[in-house]
Parts: sequence; C-alpha cells; structure tokens
Amino acid sequence: MMRTARLKALSSFLPETVLSNETLAALYPGWTPQKIVEKTGVRERRIAAPGETAADLACGAAQRLFAETGLDPAGIDFLLLCTQAPDYILPTTACLLQERLGLRQDCGALDFNLGCSGFVYGLALAKGLIETGAASRVLLLTADTYSRFIHPGDKSVRTLFGDGAAATLVEAVEADHAMIGPFVFGTDGRGGPNLIVAAGAARRERDAASAVEMIDESGNVRSLDNLYMNGGAIVSFTLKTVPEAVGKLLAAAGLAMDDIDLFVFHQASAFILERLRRKIGIRPERFVVELESCGNTVSSTIPIALERQVGQPSGDRTAMLVGFGVGYSWAAACVRF
Amino acid sequence: MSAFHEGLAEIFEVDPGLIGADFSLVDNNWDSLAIVSVIALVDECENLMLDGPALAKCETVADIEALIAKARGD
Repeated sequence: MMRTARLKALSSFLPETVLSNETLAALYPGWTPQKIVEKTGVRERRIAAPGETAADLACGAAQRLFAETGLDPAGIDFLLLCTQAPDYILPTTACLLQERLGLRQDCGALDFNLGCSGFVYGLALAKGLIETGAASRVLLLTADTYSRFIHPGDKSVRTLFGDGAAATLVEAVEADHAMIGPFVFGTDGRGGPNLIVAAGAARRERDAASAVEMIDESGNVRSLDNLYMNGGAIVSFTLKTVPEAVGKLLAAAGLAMDDIDLFVFHQASAFILERLRRKIGIRPERFVVELESCGNTVSSTIPIALERQVGQPSGDRTAMLVGFGVGYSWAAACVRF
Repeated sequence: MSAFHEGLAEIFEVDPGLIGADFSLVDNNWDSLAIVSVIALVDECENLMLDGPALAKCETVADIEALIAKARGD
C-alpha cells in the first residue's frame, strides 16, 4: 500500500445572470440563436453580477462542496486557487478565501494564474502536496470571470465564454496504485499574444490609450483592455498539441485508447471538441461534452463537465483529462474517477 | 466532390455545387469563424496546418488550394 492522492468530490457554482443566444443574436447582425449554438455548442452562459468576483464564485463552489459532502472546513489543510481574475493585485485571493471559508490558520493557501489548463495543473500541485506528506486534504478552487474582460461588441469571444467556478476535494488515501497521474505538461510562451488581455497589469497599465476601441476585419470591437483571441492560431495550436499530449500520456501511463473510460477535455467549444474527437479517434460515448448551458468557463470546464455528465468520483473509472489554452499552456492527466 | 469541397460548402452554408476554384470567399462571409473552420477542415482532410494570417488573405478557393499546395511542398 502507498499514500496516494485521490479525487474525492467536486461541486460547481455559476452566477445567476443568464446571457442567452437570443440576446446575443439581437446584437450581432447576421447571427441567429441557432447559428450561435451550431458554431459554438453554447445556448446560454452565466455572467457574474456587477461587483461579483471570481473569488465570490469560488466561495460559492466551496460552500456547496462543504454542504454536499458534510466536510468540516477545518478539515482542509491546503487551499489552491486557480484564477486569472484575482480580487486584488495583492493580497493573494486564496488568503482572503481562507478567512471567508473558515479554514484553519495552519492551512496553506496560494493562487496560481493559469487559464484553461489550470484544473489539471491544480491536480498535479495537489498530488505533490499530498504525496510528499505536506498536506492531507487539499481544496482546489478554479474560478474565472472572463466576461469582465470581454468587450460587448466582440462576438468572437462573447459567444463562447461564461463565468463560473468549481471546488474539488483531493485527499490522501492508502491504495496499491496511484489514483492521479501520470501527467504530461507543456508550455509555449510564443503563443502568449494570441490569447491575451494586454493592458491592466505591470507590462501595460490601463489608460486612455489602452481603452481606445478598434474594429477588426470580422467586425468585432475591442480595446487593449479587453480579451483578444486569435481564433485561427488557437485552433492550430489545439489541433496540433492536444493529440500529441494524448499520445504522450497514453505512453507514459502504459495504456491504450480502449483502456480510457472517459475523455474529459477542456470545453473550449463544441466545434474544436468534435474536431479533436475525430482526429484522435475517440468513441462518442466516451467523450464528454458539456457546455450548452454554461459555455467555456476556462479553468472550471473539466470539473463542471465531470460533475454534470459523470457525477461524483467513485474511483472505478479511468478518465483522461486534458486542459489547453492561454499561455500557451497545456496539461494532461489520467485519474481514477 | 472532394471531402474538402464538401466541408467548404458546409462552412459557407452554400450548395456544394457552387464550390469551385473561383468561389469567392470575400463575398461569402470570410470572417474569423470561417477561417478557423477552414484551418480545422484542412487539418482533417490534408493533415496540414495552415497559417491563419496567410489564410485570411485568401480571396478564392483557388487561393486556399495554392496555400495547401505550398504547405505540402508541391
């Protein structure tokens, strides 16, 4: 027997406000609600209310997890928060959440800044903490509010992204085999400019010039204060990188495609998911798609898809999780779910 | 009709019979979504990854086919 980390439970939390395809189609000439769902797979997405932050959503997810599992918050000994929308430049949002969630003062807490690959990286961090004996019960929170970065006139991203959060409990268990891992990681900073909010941090502060709006060749409006996505570059990166990561992970795990019960990829869009599924050769019944009613929630798409489409972890299934996107950053892992 | 032409017809939402070398992209909503779709289509049909900015400059199907030939090293 060995000390190993396992996924114990997960809960998601979405803000109340619904942004429907009907609302968006009324804003974008030539688009219909049906066209939006055909192109993206998304019918509606949830949007944080004014003043509602990613930390608020993360708090909601954690409180749901505690309520649904009956776990005492005092049982958590490490908090990991993945977000790209912290409450402040400083202090660390995870420190504020320690107090809000009633976690112990001898609990570790840190933020890490990743997007669509963040959940898989979070599992790697949690596994490391647990299997080195540094922690026994890790609360992994993923939360983002990309809607805050998106210009209302930019249909290329506004149709895709939704706000949301997830709370995942990873804990130590004695078992005769690892229950999280192996992992494959990847990074290519050359892709940074292709998915970016250029202004608002140290490299380029927000000012009158950064707020100047521009219209691109597809008619989308944005400024340097807003989220920009080079869709062509992101699709090329994804179609090249994800199949390679899947192959590397199978080799590292000593598994074949048929050994994987569930493939749960970052829910970027229905379009890219279907292309990936066909390119990799995954059977539809083993491939999880879950974004119709929440859109692309960045680092929370994988736990939301798991919770909604599969349920709570039983440890009986072998799942392959793959996150990929902003950075570029990607990670893949096998987990017992 | 090749799978590539059928895929283009689907992307531009036109009758497959209309897709030929001189089919005008710019007259048929050649926007970022269509470009993304063509990148994925070429990857699927030809196992080639086209460059987005170069693809954006294409005006006809013949231009795309020339890009594919160039990427293939023809």
